[in-house]
Amino acid sequence: MSTNSPNLTRRDLIKNFGLGAVALSGFFGASHQAFAKNAQHVVVIGGGIGGSTFAKYLRFADPNVKITVIEPNKEYITCLRTNDVMVDLHSLDEITFGYDTLRTTYGIQFLFDKVTNVDFDKKRIHTALGDQLNYDKLVISPGIDFRFEDHDGLTAELSDTDIPHAYKAGAQTLLLRDQVQSMPQGGVFVMSPPSGEFRCPPGPYERASMFAEWMQKKNPTGKILILDPKNSHSKYGPFRKGWERLYGFGTDNSMIEWVSLDEGGKVTTVDAKRKVLITEYGTEVKYDACNFIPNQHAGKIAHQLGLTDNSGWCPINRNTFESEIQKNVYVLGDSSIADAMPKSANAANTQAKVAAKAIAAELKGETPGQAILSNVCFSLVGSRYGISISAIYEVRDGLIKPKGKSAGVSPIVETPSQASLEAVYQKNWHRTFVKDVFG
Amino acid sequence: MKKLAQLFALGLVAFYAQAHANDQLKFEPEAMAWLCAPCHGTMGREFHESMPGIAGLDPDFFSKIMIDFREGRQATTIMDRIARGFTDAEIHALAAWFAEQPAEQWNPEEFKHEH
Repeated sequence: MSTNSPNLTRRDLIKNFGLGAVALSGFFGASHQAFAKNAQHVVVIGGGIGGSTFAKYLRFADPNVKITVIEPNKEYITCLRTNDVMVDLHSLDEITFGYDTLRTTYGIQFLFDKVTNVDFDKKRIHTALGDQLNYDKLVISPGIDFRFEDHDGLTAELSDTDIPHAYKAGAQTLLLRDQVQSMPQGGVFVMSPPSGEFRCPPGPYERASMFAEWMQKKNPTGKILILDPKNSHSKYGPFRKGWERLYGFGTDNSMIEWVSLDEGGKVTTVDAKRKVLITEYGTEVKYDACNFIPNQHAGKIAHQLGLTDNSGWCPINRNTFESEIQKNVYVLGDSSIADAMPKSANAANTQAKVAAKAIAAELKGETPGQAILSNVCFSLVGSRYGISISAIYEVRDGLIKPKGKSAGVSPIVETPSQASLEAVYQKNWHRTFVKDVFG
Repeated sequence: MKKLAQLFALGLVAFYAQAHANDQLKFEPEAMAWLCAPCHGTMGREFHESMPGIAGLDPDFFSKIMIDFREGRQATTIMDRIARGFTDAEIHALAAWFAEQPAEQWNPEEFKHEH
């Protein structure tokens, strides 16, 4: 067996990679070509971060179970790094991933279809193309859906054209990129982040940062105005310090201006024809480009299947992610109520691993262990300036809470290496993370 | 033959250490170890990146550096925060688990298709 010592030589590494290829195909080789007729069947609705990680790790936990993922799209574009795409640091192609490895290496079946209904009593799923699948365990990881109805004048149609949310990766990512990049010199880009629980809590602020860096070069008299329905946000201190250092935040000449709830930041009405947002105090704010990120709740299918509570999200058993509403149904990722955990990709990835272990145990008639979870989330304040938030989580008093003293954000220090290293790690993290999910 | 005996003895020691550590553990070692994958690769087996692969690390080195991170004795950007989430017993269990993983790139075939 190879060793991993801090003194590993280059030759050792090359040798090790060669061996790895053999080891992997040997371990997950022909044994998954066919499943026994009486094999237990776990069906996953949604091939995003939660669903794909779950399928891969359930295979680690149970080599014999039959696993089927039902997903409408043949490729997945990560929301992660879409803020870089908007300023031309990456292409969408670079953050698009297929399911070939999960299918061939891990023996996971993919059905590119949409679920229309689930009969929970008969444990049977119906799809749009007319398929019916029986399951022993059903896992759903449907991400988020938008509450356009919370704001007057805001509609799904508008987000596809004049006011993109760009909070699901794809066409709207490019639409927002083009709208901001084609603003006139001195133009105003207005962003309205969501209130309540939402996907990727630092996402809007990273997006503002990346556009600020782009505008410094391409539209130096332009402005970014964040009208926020909140008085604080994720990584608040590190973002502010970064904005001060990079974009003159807090001075008269700041590229970014942030208006909090108490300062009148809450928008109630969108008037796309006049290119105006109206705040709760009646102030009209004119924009040249606008990114309105609507309030959110659990993915559509979760509502359709009656798995949500009054909050709009899905209540779950914290140690297994089994729905509190339907037995043998599990909800992962953004849609689940996971208390202190943010709705992030890394959170969904570790929730998927908890559910994989729990379901594998239950299928064998064993009792699942205690859940342990984590989140590591890097944001860019500039292309060479990274910040992070992280925590390990456990279940205490029936709720998911930070474990030990692990929860925290990047320290604000004078040495520039912290921020530049975290920018390196941010890119490293994305490459490694997507391999853990899809590879 | 002598080599084989040594390996066997080492294996027993690792097994004993892990079994002993697990007595006081609230969490399965593998469940804890899977949390490291987003940064260090599936099973800790990502060796092409700046966040290092941790599969096959010497367990004493692993435990020492994790406790040093936690206690603020080792400069880092984020591992101090991560390490503060683990007790000594949990760190030793993680060390034993990763020591048993081959220090080989996870799925190098996949790596070839990367952009």
